[in-house]
Amino acid sequence: MITKSKIIDVLLYASLLIFIVFAVFILCINQDVLYTAHERSEFLIGAHFFYDLMAKPFGLFQYIGGWLSQFLYNPVVGSCMLLGIWGLIYIVGGKAFKLKGSATAVMLLPIAFLLTSLVDLGYWIYDFTVRGYWFSQSVAYLVMLLLLWVARCTPRRWHLVWYVIGLGLYPFFGWFAMLFVICLILTEKPTWSEIIGIVLLVFTAIIWRALLYSDVKMEEVVMAGLPRFVTPSDQNDILSIPFWLVGVVSILIVLAGKYLANKFVPVVCAIAGIIFTISFMYRDNNYTAEMRMMRSAEADKWGEVLDIFTESQKPTISMVMLKNLALMNEGGILDRSFKMGNDINGIYNPDSVHVSFLEIASPVTYYNYGMFNEGFRLNFECGEQTGFSPIYLKMLSRCAFANGELEVVDRFVKLLHGHPYYRDWQPAPVAENVKELHNSYKDELTGVENSDSYVINSISCWYDSDSKVASEQALFFSMLRCDSRRFWASLKHYINLHQGEEFPVHAQEAYIMYYDKSPEEKKMRLPVSQDIYDNYNKFWATLESLIKSGMSQKEIPDKMRDEFGGTYWYYNIFAKKIAR
Amino acid sequence: MNRYSQLSVLFSAVAVMLLSSCVHNPDVPVSSTEVQNTPDIFPDYCDVTVPCNIAPLNFMLSSEVYSACVARVSTPGGEQRIYGKGVKVQIPEEEWHSMLEVSKGKSLRVEVWGEKDGLWLAFSPFEIHVAEEPIDEYLSYRLIEPSYIVYGYMEIDQRNLTSFEERQVFNNKVACDSPKGQCINCHSYQNYKTDNMMFHARGTAGGTIIVNDGKLKKVDLKRDYTISSGVYPAWHPTAKLIAFSTNKTAQVFHTVNPNKTEVFDSASDLILYDVETDCVSVICSDQELLEVYPTWSPDGKSLYYCKSVPLPEDMRDKDIRTTFQKLQYNLFRRSFDLATRSFGEEELVYDAAMANKSVSLPRVSPDGSYILFAEGQYGCFHIWHHDADIVCITLGEEMPLRLDLSKMNSAGFSDSYPSWSSNGHWIMVASRRDDGNYSRVYLSHFKNGKVGKAFLLPQEDPEHNIYRLKSYNRPEFMVEPVEISVNEFSKVFPK
Repeated sequence: MITKSKIIDVLLYASLLIFIVFAVFILCINQDVLYTAHERSEFLIGAHFFYDLMAKPFGLFQYIGGWLSQFLYNPVVGSCMLLGIWGLIYIVGGKAFKLKGSATAVMLLPIAFLLTSLVDLGYWIYDFTVRGYWFSQSVAYLVMLLLLWVARCTPRRWHLVWYVIGLGLYPFFGWFAMLFVICLILTEKPTWSEIIGIVLLVFTAIIWRALLYSDVKMEEVVMAGLPRFVTPSDQNDILSIPFWLVGVVSILIVLAGKYLANKFVPVVCAIAGIIFTISFMYRDNNYTAEMRMMRSAEADKWGEVLDIFTESQKPTISMVMLKNLALMNEGGILDRSFKMGNDINGIYNPDSVHVSFLEIASPVTYYNYGMFNEGFRLNFECGEQTGFSPIYLKMLSRCAFANGELEVVDRFVKLLHGHPYYRDWQPAPVAENVKELHNSYKDELTGVENSDSYVINSISCWYDSDSKVASEQALFFSMLRCDSRRFWASLKHYINLHQGEEFPVHAQEAYIMYYDKSPEEKKMRLPVSQDIYDNYNKFWATLESLIKSGMSQKEIPDKMRDEFGGTYWYYNIFAKKIAR
Repeated sequence: MNRYSQLSVLFSAVAVMLLSSCVHNPDVPVSSTEVQNTPDIFPDYCDVTVPCNIAPLNFMLSSEVYSACVARVSTPGGEQRIYGKGVKVQIPEEEWHSMLEVSKGKSLRVEVWGEKDGLWLAFSPFEIHVAEEPIDEYLSYRLIEPSYIVYGYMEIDQRNLTSFEERQVFNNKVACDSPKGQCINCHSYQNYKTDNMMFHARGTAGGTIIVNDGKLKKVDLKRDYTISSGVYPAWHPTAKLIAFSTNKTAQVFHTVNPNKTEVFDSASDLILYDVETDCVSVICSDQELLEVYPTWSPDGKSLYYCKSVPLPEDMRDKDIRTTFQKLQYNLFRRSFDLATRSFGEEELVYDAAMANKSVSLPRVSPDGSYILFAEGQYGCFHIWHHDADIVCITLGEEMPLRLDLSKMNSAGFSDSYPSWSSNGHWIMVASRRDDGNYSRVYLSHFKNGKVGKAFLLPQEDPEHNIYRLKSYNRPEFMVEPVEISVNEFSKVFPK
């Protein structure tokens, strides 16, 4: 016969198991996010980085978090570390809050909030400045619970000492020090001495700001360590909710601990945690596809870039740019690019932060187009805002290496060699394509251009280069820009340099179209495949008939996509362009 | 053993370990192979002349080549001390200063051993000459990424040159509600002292922050008749006056040129600001030409500045983006009468353009006998120009004599922003010689027109110079620290 205690145990362990499986699953489907986290997480060797962080409250945990984030290079290792920390939080939390049996399952809630905080970031991953974010909150919460456990093991009369310790630990623990003191106060009915503790708590931040942090804004000292998501143009308070909930739930556990000894508590907590994480988790196929494409592009695995792109329905600018870069390296850009698609899904990504090609893929794109000064500059500007994380150090090294600035390469490589997974990293040799493009690039002065269109406008100017690669790119980008004037100049040059080679399909398509429609007089006569010519006529005939049938402007592209979506004409007439 | 005694044993063990890691005086290798050259140490302190009060010249051997380094430092009196931990030589401040004290006017002898592939190499010894002249105790600089348009965290710091203490004067986040922060720049002091000083804060709630006899105020220097608010400042050495340039400045980027960035003015004039009365008067405002970088003579009776040379006729109406490489500046001065606050006629001091060069950032020596400036082929923002070097010429002679600064300048990298210590015996420059991108502070001894080998500002950990991803911008000597706290400075900004 099944006893009541066995039912309780079964419910508890089943709930735990389900939650663990869920957490593992969530981490598994976010492996690309975790890899990107390591690439975008700054941790520099040398004392100055440590002291820079220590100059701010909560800096120690940011430093520890930054160090641990390096292990996300291998997302499996990083995930195991996170799971280990959360396992400890579960065990230590049970001791700290004196939870027994089913009640211990309530610790699943803060763990779910911490898990959520890693997978709800979306595009903020590219543009937030919180150092050590990926581990700092979990580690700090674990240490806070340890402290609470130890404090609660000491006699009641020692609590005042613990309040003072809480005050003393504020520079290291930030808001967790406050949480610790609040939890400790609420464990028993406050005495006079404890009220003094509360008063101390109120002034903790003010005291520490006066003593140590006068160069930091008051509001940043008060809630030190609580991640805030703010850029010069965007703010998102929702992403801070999981951390607020960690605090609120911890306080509620202290207040309502004795009411939690219910056999259904594990089930409720596991389900609540799962629902919370699923509701807040950021899911978007392009979001992870961009991360995978970037990883492959950095490793010069262009075939993989194309494979990932092929899986996408409506690509982003970054994906289109990386795909075209891959085609440049794999060959056939003028035969395949428009077939694969250059229609973009808006300039910015669908999130609460304005992140575009600039933050995601411009470093690797500029480098591969041989635009080393631009690449160096963009990496610098991005690194300056979000920290000199491995992605920027790697691309800065590659740009500097390609530019022959070996002394500065040394600086960045030395910093990278402090990373456990980059100990032997060296910039890859500069590919011949990249060198050729760089040599085609004339020196000119540029200002503060929008980088999305800037790269396209710049490359489309290369029509007078003697490089075969550059002439192909110039022709392609003039087509991407739908610039008939540059098209004719580029085409003339391309034909001269590629004599005896086949006239690429998309170039033929563009040629027919501009020959037919553009006002320029300097046209050339070139042989065009009859199939393409017939298809072109069919394209216009279909378009005309659909217009006559009264179909709306929105419906026509959808109607024509299946038959003509892979042609240059479709791109030229209907697609959302990256730049003009 | 009870719980408490276990804990005390644990703590004692940790304490012993920590202490043993702090104190490390190695022995000189018993056997070694002699190498006929001085060690390739970083920073390069071989045969440099240093102030008698400078912080320890800690250095290191390359960790990629060597596994350990030992150095024996000998004073002229024969006292010897041995240092080395890993590949670094870090000398305790107290011991270093006692060695400097007994070596004034003489030299320290440094022998270095490096362990390579298990074998010790003994390099030829080198000397560190200890000058009798001290250096100003403080230095301030802006720490900023050698960057472009975007800026992140920016701070003006002060460094004690006799130790490694570095403290913040101000940062660009503390007083600004916008996440963008402000751009803070152009810190400047009257006569190396800090009771009269200033810096600019641009952007949200920006202005010029002036400390007048220790009292703080924020002012707006823009007037209807000036082209901008004050930019590059120069405090009059005795009066509460600041000469500024006013500039319309643009920053553009080279797509291929290794200089990477160009900064140029499309308009610039000079103004004089009276700190006491908040009055701004125009010093010179040539409609065609550009005046910039004012600096006073130590007696306050002359104002030196750079002024552009007219462009060839056919280039005058063209976009500056196409003519910037033809824009060159000469060095001029005007006399100044403090009583009437009037300036005399313009006088050419140095015709750089004649030699197809361009000057910027002049600084007159404290005794008024020399003037330093940065010289490149064109323009006035030489920190981005790889060909830029520091030049020193004599003043008061009909034909200015150009001093030999070859030991101070770097080859192929920008040397810019020169300045004199208050006693005139030390020259400081911001140089990009380490890697062409990050500016670092270099110091050189100056005596009777002779300039010593430049040495890098010492750091407690020599690798700090590698790992700090910031440039030292606008290094300025000070004889005393800025006592006003960051918090106090921040109070002049409206909340």
